[in-house]
Amino acid sequence: MSLLRPLVARAITLAAVFLAVLLILVVALGLTGFSERVLAATVGEQLRIERATLAQTIRDPEELERALEARRRELYTFYGLDRPWTARLPQTLLRVLSLDLGEARTLRSFKGSNRVADIILERLPNSVLLLTTALVITAAIGLAVGVILATRPGSRLDQALSGLAAVSHALPTWWVGILLILILAVRLRLFPSGGMYSTPPPTEPHLRVLDLCLHALLPVLTLVLVNVGPYIYVVRTITLNVAREDHVAMARAKGLPESRVRSHHILRVAAPPIVTGLVLGLAGTLSGSILVETVFHWQGMGRLYYEAVLGTPDEAVIVALTFLYTLLYVVARLILEILYVFLDPRVRYAD
Amino acid sequence: MRLRETWRGLWQSWAGKGGVGLLVLFLAAAIYVLVTYPADFGSRWWSNPAAWADNPKAAPPAWTNLWRREPWVKHLVFEARAPSQVLETANGPMSVYRFPLSHPYPGPPTFLALTLGEVTYARQPPLITVSLGRPDGRSLRLYRHMPPGPRPGEGPPFRRYHESPLRVRLSTEATTVAAVQQFLAAEFGLQVSERELLGRVDQALFGVPEREGEGVRFRSLPGDYEVVVQVSFSDRGDELGLVRFVLGGAVFGVMGTDDLGRDLAQGLLFGLPVALAIGLGAATFSTAIGATLGLLSGYAGGRTDLLIQRLADIVANVPLLPLLIFLLFIVGSNLFLIILILVAFSWPGLTILVRSMVLQMRAGQLVEAIQSLGASRWRIMFRHILPQVAPYLLAQWVFTVPSAILAEAGVSFLGLGDPSIPTWGQILEQGFRTGGVYVGYWWWVVPPGILIALTGVAFMLLALGLEPVINPRLRRIG
Repeated sequence: MSLLRPLVARAITLAAVFLAVLLILVVALGLTGFSERVLAATVGEQLRIERATLAQTIRDPEELERALEARRRELYTFYGLDRPWTARLPQTLLRVLSLDLGEARTLRSFKGSNRVADIILERLPNSVLLLTTALVITAAIGLAVGVILATRPGSRLDQALSGLAAVSHALPTWWVGILLILILAVRLRLFPSGGMYSTPPPTEPHLRVLDLCLHALLPVLTLVLVNVGPYIYVVRTITLNVAREDHVAMARAKGLPESRVRSHHILRVAAPPIVTGLVLGLAGTLSGSILVETVFHWQGMGRLYYEAVLGTPDEAVIVALTFLYTLLYVVARLILEILYVFLDPRVRYAD
Repeated sequence: MRLRETWRGLWQSWAGKGGVGLLVLFLAAAIYVLVTYPADFGSRWWSNPAAWADNPKAAPPAWTNLWRREPWVKHLVFEARAPSQVLETANGPMSVYRFPLSHPYPGPPTFLALTLGEVTYARQPPLITVSLGRPDGRSLRLYRHMPPGPRPGEGPPFRRYHESPLRVRLSTEATTVAAVQQFLAAEFGLQVSERELLGRVDQALFGVPEREGEGVRFRSLPGDYEVVVQVSFSDRGDELGLVRFVLGGAVFGVMGTDDLGRDLAQGLLFGLPVALAIGLGAATFSTAIGATLGLLSGYAGGRTDLLIQRLADIVANVPLLPLLIFLLFIVGSNLFLIILILVAFSWPGLTILVRSMVLQMRAGQLVEAIQSLGASRWRIMFRHILPQVAPYLLAQWVFTVPSAILAEAGVSFLGLGDPSIPTWGQILEQGFRTGGVYVGYWWWVVPPGILIALTGVAFMLLALGLEPVINPRLRRIG
């Protein structure tokens, strides 16, 4: 029980966040008349199909028009187009939730479908791949380097990394990506400047994976470079604070080996706030990845934002993307929160 | 009082000094821009390709010549509103404009352009001829033009090219090409076809021809050239108000140009007050809202407290960028909307912090004592609690500025920037969208990023400088 209570509290907050974003989406869609346009397009499409079938039974054109008009009114009532947008709120909410947003104007999925859900769901794994890879590498480096730094505070390396952490906060992630493209891809020609696979992509599976890794290197490097500085700093500061506490001195006095002191007495205690640091960095990494995907032509949802804004605007895609990014964020947060609850002994041994 | 202490502490650290110094520099530059640039710079100049027609496209900055073995041609603009010389001839007065042109480069200019404006005449249009004097003593007539004569029903004085000046690109102008052909035949005995000269007019003008197999090539001729514009008027009082001769460079100005020929230095400079306005505006409002709600939440307690805290919890956890993209896309991009959204989503951190501090202080003896003296709640809140919290507000303010600037740059980069106001993010977006990154136009994409980072660093230094001021207080209160 004691494990569950804090989790449930966090889950409720995150669910509220999710609902709040959904509400903003739906209200904005209603206020700007967007949901009306989508529904009207659906009705129009349906009428077009029905006209073809009706035309075979009703010969008289005037009568046909009358029948279609009646059908149109029927459909308008069915979809709630005859009522104000506020009355359709729950319905719109459901449509967004089920990604039932109709068809994209110009964007197509790789397989050629123009259904919004097809386009987006195809890109989701690519985004998740990039985001999680970057997050895991950032966490691993941050943890390793941060702990080492904590053993020698005030050293030159320590100062340099504190500086880096401060500067990273002011650096646009995507601009760092552009710099890397300029230097490593355009000038030195060491890496591909974008995309996920070479053209044509290798056919053999293991070469394909290798190709993907090569293409992922620069975007992952960009995300890690910008996010790792602050994270190292957080780990170092937390570890340092814990290492100065009495119980660590006590463990050393007991004659425990240093490695055991570090793993069981310092890191064990420092782990929860370190995870919190990761949680706080998540939002930054997420928005960073949207822009980094754009810069590196990574075929994920972030790049899709750019493509949907560019040229013919594709509102439905933007709506679905915003919804899915929020979902992605909330789910990732929840996973980290669960991790936190399991890591924090105070939560486990409470009561 | 508290703020003065804060200021003193800030000034003691090198980081604080650096931050304040950078900030003063930025503010001074921003004020300069605000005073000298028109407010509609974005729509009237920056987004208007005609305003940049005389500039070379995608030219690197002039200082890149420092590390070139062979320097590239610098962009030169000669503009005259009054003649260098007025002669009296049998046919009437003649104005002469002389533009001495030193050309020490091993290559030709990228183009030559002539602009004539504000012609006024009483009876007959003036005859305008442009000629080029070369360092080898030869000279040739580049161009000859007579403005349109009187139209039926039109009375004197006849005004031509007042609203839209006449602009001629000499490098592709047919009469210039013919003149060059004639020049090569007369001076060097070479028959060069029009097709052979295509795109090489500037080479011919600034070089010496040499036979090469079937064709001809031009060896460049560095030295002092002179462009002479002669205007023969038929009556005294006739005028030519503007003569501009442009020698298109391969390098341009302090920051180079983009692919429309826009002077990047101007765009970057104009972006400074815009970035500061976004950062400072968003930071100020979000700090004010965050502090007010925090004070209210901590001091009022009860249901108000619960409501504000739950709200803060939710708003603090919303992923900002996707929502920002969505709202800007659906509602339409506008700088004020960007700032508004940033404010709406950046207040909760401060609210949560201020509330906890207020709760601590309320439990303390100071507030109890003041309360027993009969001070009102508002007085306690604003006279006694607010000053204690002030350094934190300052810290929050300082932290919000760079994140707001970064957020705006991010949405601008996705193509959702306010189209009427150029920002650093938009310059970057154009450099990226047009493929400037992939052909190595670094001067287009590196400086705006550096400026964004530098503005951020200025405020980060301030934050670093503020830290020692704020931290001891944290201990005293806790």
